[in-house]
Amino acid sequence: MPRPSEPPKNIWFRRRVSLTRSLVELWAFRELTATLAERDLRVRYKQAALGVAWAVITPVIMMLAFSLIVNKITHTNTGLHHPPYPLWSYMGLLPWTFFSSTVGGGGMSLVSNNTLLNKLYCPREVFPIAGMIDATFDALIAALVLAIMFPALGFAPASTSIYVPLLLIVLVMFTMGVTLAVSVIVVYMRDLRLAIPMVLQFGLFVTPVIYPPTKLSHHPAFLIAYSVINPLVPVIDGMRRCVLSGQPPNWTWLLAGGVSSLVFLVGGFWLFKRLETGIADVA
Amino acid sequence: MLPKGTIEVSEIWKRFRLDDRPTYLQDRIAQIGDRIKNRKAESWRWALRDISFKAEPGESWALVGPNGAGKSTLLKIICRVMYQTAGRVDLYGRVGALIEVRAGISPLLTGRENIFLTGSIMGLKRRDVARRFDEIVEFAELNAAVDRQVKYYSSGMQMRLGFAVAAFLSPDILLVDEVLAVGDATFQQRCLDRIRAVLAEGTTLLFVSHDLAAVEATCTNGIWIHHGAIETMGPVRQVLSAYRGAVEGEAKARSHIRGRISVLQAEASGEDGGLAKTGGPLHVDLTLHSDENYRAWIYLGVSEGAATPIFLINPGRETVLEPGSTRVQCSVPSMPLPRGKYYLWGGVYKNWTQGEELISWQPITQFEVYGPELDAAPKAVVRLSPLHVESSWDIEAA
Repeated sequence: MPRPSEPPKNIWFRRRVSLTRSLVELWAFRELTATLAERDLRVRYKQAALGVAWAVITPVIMMLAFSLIVNKITHTNTGLHHPPYPLWSYMGLLPWTFFSSTVGGGGMSLVSNNTLLNKLYCPREVFPIAGMIDATFDALIAALVLAIMFPALGFAPASTSIYVPLLLIVLVMFTMGVTLAVSVIVVYMRDLRLAIPMVLQFGLFVTPVIYPPTKLSHHPAFLIAYSVINPLVPVIDGMRRCVLSGQPPNWTWLLAGGVSSLVFLVGGFWLFKRLETGIADVA
Repeated sequence: MLPKGTIEVSEIWKRFRLDDRPTYLQDRIAQIGDRIKNRKAESWRWALRDISFKAEPGESWALVGPNGAGKSTLLKIICRVMYQTAGRVDLYGRVGALIEVRAGISPLLTGRENIFLTGSIMGLKRRDVARRFDEIVEFAELNAAVDRQVKYYSSGMQMRLGFAVAAFLSPDILLVDEVLAVGDATFQQRCLDRIRAVLAEGTTLLFVSHDLAAVEATCTNGIWIHHGAIETMGPVRQVLSAYRGAVEGEAKARSHIRGRISVLQAEASGEDGGLAKTGGPLHVDLTLHSDENYRAWIYLGVSEGAATPIFLINPGRETVLEPGSTRVQCSVPSMPLPRGKYYLWGGVYKNWTQGEELISWQPITQFEVYGPELDAAPKAVVRLSPLHVESSWDIEAA
């Protein structure tokens, strides 16, 4: 019997992705995720003389640069109660740094863990997720600086800070969606990795991190649309409102950004799962 | 649900893109452009075609075949690192893989950290790894080095670490892909011992190796893959002898006996021109043709497959080759070979030690030996070449 040159159509492999199964599997591999995150942290801080301090240095230097220079050139209206600019900019830099280091680190995770990927099966999401855990760790350490900044600048966090978890959910969904998409696309198009730092740099300036969103436009429709494109806008703005100005977040923006970040997450996950099957073929 | 340790592979097909251009953005754009322009169908290469087999728990299967036959691709599909194009793979139980031993090891971490990392990749809990930690360290002979960064390890130590972790985490299925070639002889033997110990614990083994002797001493079943398809499947000895036979046939087709002198005729036979017998004589009869006058050294050897010879007929013979034909005869009074097919190798050199080749070292003819077959090697005994050595035993209470 001669062997057919192609497999019969009915046995072709079609990958079925079930969300619940993926999540169950991800949960089963939680120890691996933790180990990977821990490894990356250890590796990163093992050879750094200043160690964990690096997590603090980056946002603090940026905050100082913005406070000393940007704020001198253009006077920024920091909103209700006029919180001091260093606090105000640090409040924006924390979520931004979390976003950019997750996308930068987690986005590269499939490429940099190439050898592990080819060794054994595990749900591939563990690599970008481990990248996000690392960034979370760094962000928590960087947030400790606030404990010094608040008393030093004679300011106190407002009671509306209870809305912060809501903002963080939006932040995490958006960041994860982008990271999942970036990490898998980079495997297929290697030179996009060179573009990532550039795009992130660009993002720092188009996102209202060092200026309030109202500087962009006073048009309400524009700001809602912008919140959809870039859910970091309501997150960063919301952080300042809740923690510093004692206001609730702008609910319209937050809703727009929240829905959009959910779409980013689902879309990123879908893309990831679609392209995941071919990673070993091209990597 | 089938018992743990079962591997069921049915009708696996795998293809790769033929136009494997580097994956840079400009290439992608160029590809898309090509596709729009001439709507050319994408070209594919089938790396695996219609592979099916089923390994029961505790069985040991060998995958043999030439380089590029698809063995590693199959292994990758079985451990779900790569996805098949068509077909089904069903695995039951935890999988341990030794596909590239050093692959999962992070050079910046210590040996200890790496052991835990590899363990959790295999789906083990930290405390399970902790329980076997001492055994792993002992097997890998790391001792105090376990708390040193792996980048300061020798490549042998890294290999031992990788092997030890995978082999001691008691997987239900162990996949081994040509990894033993790296270590020294003692460690290779210990690895094989460990693999057999794992087998004895009921693990299913899938073993890829070009070391046919190790395969024969380890596995009970074999699959010979050729150009992505199963050529033969069955008991390991049967598969290996079919595979060896094919390799020999290939070698015969390849051997053009040419050099500055040529072999006109070559024959190796037993007594009175008959078949050679185990323990009997072997007569080699060669006719060489030379255009010039040479002072030459002739060497002969015998091999089983078309690989390295089992033995050389030592010493070689120094002679003077006159222009024209020369008949060379050589007799071995007693051949220590069991039943089988063998190759006679020959080489003619101009200056003995400097070895300027007149005929390069190569198989020149084939002969068969009749006699008793060698017993199958007991488990764990790696037999490199089949020699039949006469012996007498004397056992008494002492």
